[in-house]
Amino acid sequence: MRKNHRLNQISVGTETIFHVIVGLFSICCIIPFIFVIVISFTAESSIREIGYSFIPRAWSTGTYTYAIQRLPQIWRSYFNSILITVIGTALSTLMCALYSYALFRPDFKYRGFFTFFSFFTMIFGGGLVPTYVICTQVLGLRENYAALIVPLLVSPFNIIIMRTFFKSSVPLELIEAATIDGSGEYSTFFMVVLPIAKPGLATIALLNALAYWNDWYLSLLYIKQNKVLQPLQALLMELQNNVEYLNRMSAALGSSAIQEAMRAPTQTLRMVLVVLIVIPIACAYPFFQRYIVSGLTIGSVKG
Amino acid sequence: MKKIVSLLLALVMFAGVFAFTNTASAEEPVTLKIWFHGSNVSPEASKKVLDELNVYLNEKIGAKLDVIWGTWGDFDTAVVTALAGGDNVDMYFTCNWSADEYNKYARDGYWVKLDDLLPQYGADLLATIPEGIWECAKTNGYDGMGIYAVPALKDTATQNCWDVNGTLLAELGYDVDAICAKGLDYYSPEFEEMLQKAKDLKASQGVNDFYPLCVEPMVLERLVNVTSIVTGDLGSGNVLSYYYDKEHPAKDIGSKIVNKFSTPEFEKYAARTYELAQKGFISPSIQNVATSNDYRTACQNSGEYLISTQSYAYGCEIDFSKARGIDVRMVPASAPYMDSTSGQGAMMAISTVSKNPEKALQFLNLLNTDPYVMTTLNYGLEGFTFNKNADGTITWIEENRATYSPWRNGMGNVRILPPTADEGVNYWKDFAEYYNSAEALPYGSFIFDSSEVETEGAAIANVFAEYAFGLCSGATDPAAVLAEFLQKLEAAGINEFVAAANEQLAKYAG
Repeated sequence: MRKNHRLNQISVGTETIFHVIVGLFSICCIIPFIFVIVISFTAESSIREIGYSFIPRAWSTGTYTYAIQRLPQIWRSYFNSILITVIGTALSTLMCALYSYALFRPDFKYRGFFTFFSFFTMIFGGGLVPTYVICTQVLGLRENYAALIVPLLVSPFNIIIMRTFFKSSVPLELIEAATIDGSGEYSTFFMVVLPIAKPGLATIALLNALAYWNDWYLSLLYIKQNKVLQPLQALLMELQNNVEYLNRMSAALGSSAIQEAMRAPTQTLRMVLVVLIVIPIACAYPFFQRYIVSGLTIGSVKG
Repeated sequence: MKKIVSLLLALVMFAGVFAFTNTASAEEPVTLKIWFHGSNVSPEASKKVLDELNVYLNEKIGAKLDVIWGTWGDFDTAVVTALAGGDNVDMYFTCNWSADEYNKYARDGYWVKLDDLLPQYGADLLATIPEGIWECAKTNGYDGMGIYAVPALKDTATQNCWDVNGTLLAELGYDVDAICAKGLDYYSPEFEEMLQKAKDLKASQGVNDFYPLCVEPMVLERLVNVTSIVTGDLGSGNVLSYYYDKEHPAKDIGSKIVNKFSTPEFEKYAARTYELAQKGFISPSIQNVATSNDYRTACQNSGEYLISTQSYAYGCEIDFSKARGIDVRMVPASAPYMDSTSGQGAMMAISTVSKNPEKALQFLNLLNTDPYVMTTLNYGLEGFTFNKNADGTITWIEENRATYSPWRNGMGNVRILPPTADEGVNYWKDFAEYYNSAEALPYGSFIFDSSEVETEGAAIANVFAEYAFGLCSGATDPAAVLAEFLQKLEAAGINEFVAAANEQLAKYAG
């Protein structure tokens, strides 16, 4: 008789196959990133000679030194990205929780209308230009931090996730009990419901944090003059797009394009920026992961 | 009584408000917002330069400037959104290759027609820019045929050159000056021999993946076949060609607009290119659309090539030699010519949204005729980005210049700028001479309006994307695919497309 017979045990062979598959998949995910790190430490001369390679002919930390010393905007952009991500994530998660809580409560009279109101935008968007006009001319969202935060505040997709999460994990009886015990609407929401919904909140918060951290499009549209407000992603996209654009337009621009391209940052510098961008968000993952895993399993345990 | 008093008081207040606003608008300078392309300017540097420039502009025309320094990467997306959204911008950079394409946006009513305003607000400008360039700027806009933007007086001609690595050529034992003076013949055995020698030399040095012919395929085709692009044909991927005379582009050789791929010249070109590629002279990276430009630029910059192609700009070989650390020679394949494509390479248009189009034109007038305004906006401030030398040239203060580098050719009349020390005292004089000598093509500044054959254009573009690059770069054998390609083009409506272009050309020629 076998000892320690686990409930969900599978045969060793199957387990090995699964491990191999998952392992290969993980390697596929991690290799590009390792490649980027290697390139960022590659000397420019080596890239010119043999192109990108895992084993460059010469190593160099010169580009990092250059980026850190000569590009003061990097640090400012770092600050911008962090500020936007922190404020944006906090606000958007709060708004999402508030909105979806109202939709979750069956005693809310206009539930159907507001569900449709948010759901509708998932199918029919206003389009780029009307959105742009509303943001810049009506809301004054240009050349300021608000322009980088407000447009991403409400995500109907997240609202639906959160509402479903409330439905599956918060029993209505609990809210009734709280009301009977004399808890007001706000204290019920903040003291009773939210603590139960923590895994869901964490999922939403992570999605929002990623959206804010990775966004560069808002900056492209709304930050044209006050470029010190550019987040890190926008800075990288701009450098990258400049190079691509000049390459694409070289026939139209003639030698002008080549002269301009000489001023563009080197390939290693672009990789350095990628590394600088990825590190903070990679650090945030383990922090949220605990909640996401528990969020995934919580429903199944309940049955 | 009370009522009358309060009514009077209200009237006085109203009058006061009116009086106040009136005086205010008379004294306040008008703010003109302008959007440039391809800039690399930090906000601090921009403020520093504009603060000083605006004092001058206020004195001269009672206006101050607010600049959006568009970059290469963000210009297209941002400008299209802003134009569609009716942003409060007075002047935009436009041209025939950016997303706010001059001819299309003129047709759609985004640019102010300048014909009536120019004599009054831009008299100097009208006189400064040569008639031929104004002719190129004429387009069929929403308000009839006319000028909808101020063309920049910059490198206004096109000349296709062979870009030759003189250092390597000398290493192979050739007399570089003699070869360059004689010119290169793509179909000659000597041409092939040169490439072979270079490949052998590199192989003997242990470099096995050296590809001596490092070209931009679409440019190579125009260079070898002596054809020009037809302005306005961007939508189809530039399927149209116009053959011109090699030595005297203005000479009428009875050309018509043709389907580039249907000519015997093209067949010969494609066969030759395929042959050279088969012998290992053209890198597979060049033949791949995705990597072609990146790879070519990298090879050129590191001097890892023997022969390349270049759309010439006056004096570029000096810059290239310096940057690449080799002796770069430009060998003309044909004489420089002028057409709308080069004439519309960079322009400034006044937006129909602008509340002060007259002031905007006054500013453009000043920008193109007043050396102080052009120098300050383009180069920055003396003592900040550059120092003046005794002979009238300037020397950069590199550190600050790096934070203030607009795209020089993207603003307007560059010929009133001071030359840099590297360029030498006579640079702009020679520059003007070179470009003024360029002849206009026989069809003048014809612009093809492809809007009536838009469906065919889109279908052609799809077929074009499938075959054209492979044939032009020698990746595919014309014997195998050219017939199939032409057949597909025909099915996509190439005949109607070419006919429409020629019909318009006949109408244009009158």
